[in-house]
Amino acid sequence: MGNTLTPLEFIRQTPPFDRLPPEALAAVERGLEISFFPKGTRVLAHTGPPSEHLYLIRKGAARLLREGREVLLLEEGDCFGYPSLLAQDAPSFDVVAEEDLLVYRWEQKIFRGLLAYPEFAQFFSRDLAERLRLVSKALHHAPSTLNLDLSMPVGELVSRPPVFVARSASIGQAAQIMREQRISSLLVEGEPLGILTDRDLRNRVLAEGRGPETPLAEVMSAPAKTLNAETPLFEALAFMVSQGIHHLPVTRDGRIVGVITDTVLMRQQTRSPLYLLRRLERTRDPADLQGYREELTGVVESLMAGGLGAPSIGRSVSSLNDQLVRVLLELAEARLGPPPTPYAWIVFGSEGRMEQTLLTDQDNALIYQDDLPEARPYFARLAEFVVQGLLQAGFPPCPGGYMATRWHKPLAEWERLFGHWIQQPNPQELLEAQIFFDFRPVHGNLSLQSLEQLVAHSGQHRIFLAQMARSALQFRPPLGFFRRIREEEGGVDLKKGGIAPIVSLARVYALEALSPARSTLERLEAAARAGKLSAEGAETLAEAFNFLTRLRLREQLGALRRGEAPGNKVSLEALSALERRHLKEAFVLLREMQEALGQRFQTDLLG
Amino acid sequence: MRWDSQTYWALDLETSGLSPTDQILSVGMVPIRQGVICYGEHFYSLVRPQAGLPLSHEGIRAHHIVPAELEAAPPLAEALEAIHPRLSQGILLLHHAPVDMGFLRRAYGHLHRPWPRPRVLDTVRLIAKLQERQCYLEPHSRPLPRGLAEARAHFGLPPHLEHHALYDALATAELFLLLRSRLGAKTLRQLT
Repeated sequence: MGNTLTPLEFIRQTPPFDRLPPEALAAVERGLEISFFPKGTRVLAHTGPPSEHLYLIRKGAARLLREGREVLLLEEGDCFGYPSLLAQDAPSFDVVAEEDLLVYRWEQKIFRGLLAYPEFAQFFSRDLAERLRLVSKALHHAPSTLNLDLSMPVGELVSRPPVFVARSASIGQAAQIMREQRISSLLVEGEPLGILTDRDLRNRVLAEGRGPETPLAEVMSAPAKTLNAETPLFEALAFMVSQGIHHLPVTRDGRIVGVITDTVLMRQQTRSPLYLLRRLERTRDPADLQGYREELTGVVESLMAGGLGAPSIGRSVSSLNDQLVRVLLELAEARLGPPPTPYAWIVFGSEGRMEQTLLTDQDNALIYQDDLPEARPYFARLAEFVVQGLLQAGFPPCPGGYMATRWHKPLAEWERLFGHWIQQPNPQELLEAQIFFDFRPVHGNLSLQSLEQLVAHSGQHRIFLAQMARSALQFRPPLGFFRRIREEEGGVDLKKGGIAPIVSLARVYALEALSPARSTLERLEAAARAGKLSAEGAETLAEAFNFLTRLRLREQLGALRRGEAPGNKVSLEALSALERRHLKEAFVLLREMQEALGQRFQTDLLG
Repeated sequence: MRWDSQTYWALDLETSGLSPTDQILSVGMVPIRQGVICYGEHFYSLVRPQAGLPLSHEGIRAHHIVPAELEAAPPLAEALEAIHPRLSQGILLLHHAPVDMGFLRRAYGHLHRPWPRPRVLDTVRLIAKLQERQCYLEPHSRPLPRGLAEARAHFGLPPHLEHHALYDALATAELFLLLRSRLGAKTLRQLT
């Protein structure tokens, strides 16, 4: 791109004008006015008259001030004046030229005309959340490897009407219908809806030594899990993976319209999460897990290309990783014999929140019921087997050392540990322990009710919350002087500067709201419902979280394609003007939310 | 009279060379009204050279105007029809006025039209004014650049597409707004 741009060239490459069709640009050029404000000029005044123009900075910078506090620095390519212009209200900010300012501007009449173009108009939504959503959508640059549009309604994959069999039928009769109709599953009439699949015939009939006269009702699954036909395909995929089902009856207006099978979904793509799920189910030896990491990366890439947000991808990936752990634990139990006392395998950190997308680390631990003499050595070996299997599958060991090989303890000890963190909170300990509050059981029969209770009520301890809040403020968005994004060596650290602070913030608010939610998005929602966080604040943080995680995932996948290790840094140079702008907005917002958190818990008063 | 109660027309000509026998090849004009550049009202036209007058190839090369385009362009008389009302409307704004003024006067002469004697502001003279003031405050400071692109760069204005009559006229208008503010001139008199 040459650096001598004509006005129209400059405008055409600047968001949101870049979304205008060519015919609209003629009006843009006709209505273009150019104005100059020397440094220090107050271009718009808070409480002054409404803005009469949409402004676009051609050169220079301007500060947005609210009550004398700087909110944002606007730079070349940034727009301002439109909220006031749209609402015909006094500007909500002072806009002051930080440097000599050369601005392009358009009268209200022209601007209103351009708002007829939805792509253009969306940008001017008053809502930051809405704008972040828009940019997140624009992040779909990865080449599509999918033939399926993952956002299409799952009902569109239904290829034939459902086939039912009477509830009183025998297995033999059911198998005949399946052969005649050439189908791999059959729906069973009556309430609740039942389903019989090929697998059931194999696993529950033949393998159990039952005959064709077995009543259907004894082996079918009921109630069958169903989804509405309008459900987006990616959600259906995630649902099938999480439920471990291969046949999904689809309903419309309460009626079954057909059955989706995973083969339909997999025929077109080996990079589907269901394909990997099948592979996991067939694993008989940890050595078979070689290559899991690469295949998982392929799945993530294809989900990303299908337009999924990082949170949805995280849920799919976590379901797969959970399945991996279950398979390994079953193999381990088969080898070591049944456990001497009930246990639970837990994951925490990003796995606990179901937010891990690529295999970046493992955080896991083991809890067992009774402190029997034989328990500790047994679970040490069990943990060793699973952790080795995870390493085989491509999980790097956790740098902090939170792995079940070290962290296997009887339940009573875990209760004491959580009790200690909550009742005698110590900042240094909590900084490391806060991820334990994201724990989620993956496998095992041990009930963790007592730990759940401890966590659920931890929010009643004010000092604990205050210390958690303090830990949440450990990392700050990298904003420098005048709120410019500070770039360190290698780029901006999205994890330290944005993702981790949002995760911690959501955790504190959710604990305060006594919510059992684990994922950051659910926690924000729960906090808003309980009135601990404004609905607007929660939504905006959620969108900032989606934006940052998706941006990071895109960079990480890019690094993997180049044969580099995926990190957390992104170079500002590599971002579009729009992405840079929204990154800044996300950071500024986060900083405000952190300040609010600090005030709420008076973290500055803590020793 | 406040400076911004006037209309200004920034004008730039691309010519086949700098000698009196050279010809106008294109003209660009952009108005400033109430202190704001109304880019949408700009005027730009190529000008078909008069037959029999020599065309310098260097000049043509400098501004990328190809002879075929010029053959299809309106003749000088027609271009002047469009220039004239704008020229008479307010103050003419030029960067390095003597050259363009010379060409304009000759064009009027060729077509036997009376020269309208527009009021002229020269951004080069405004730079000189600023320079005088600067010398008074900092006697040893470096002289300010006088070329259009150099002066713009010095004052922090973005680079523009040079040797194009329209974008040079716009560049002049933007430079004028900046110089006016640097000079702190409130009235037209303070600018002349």
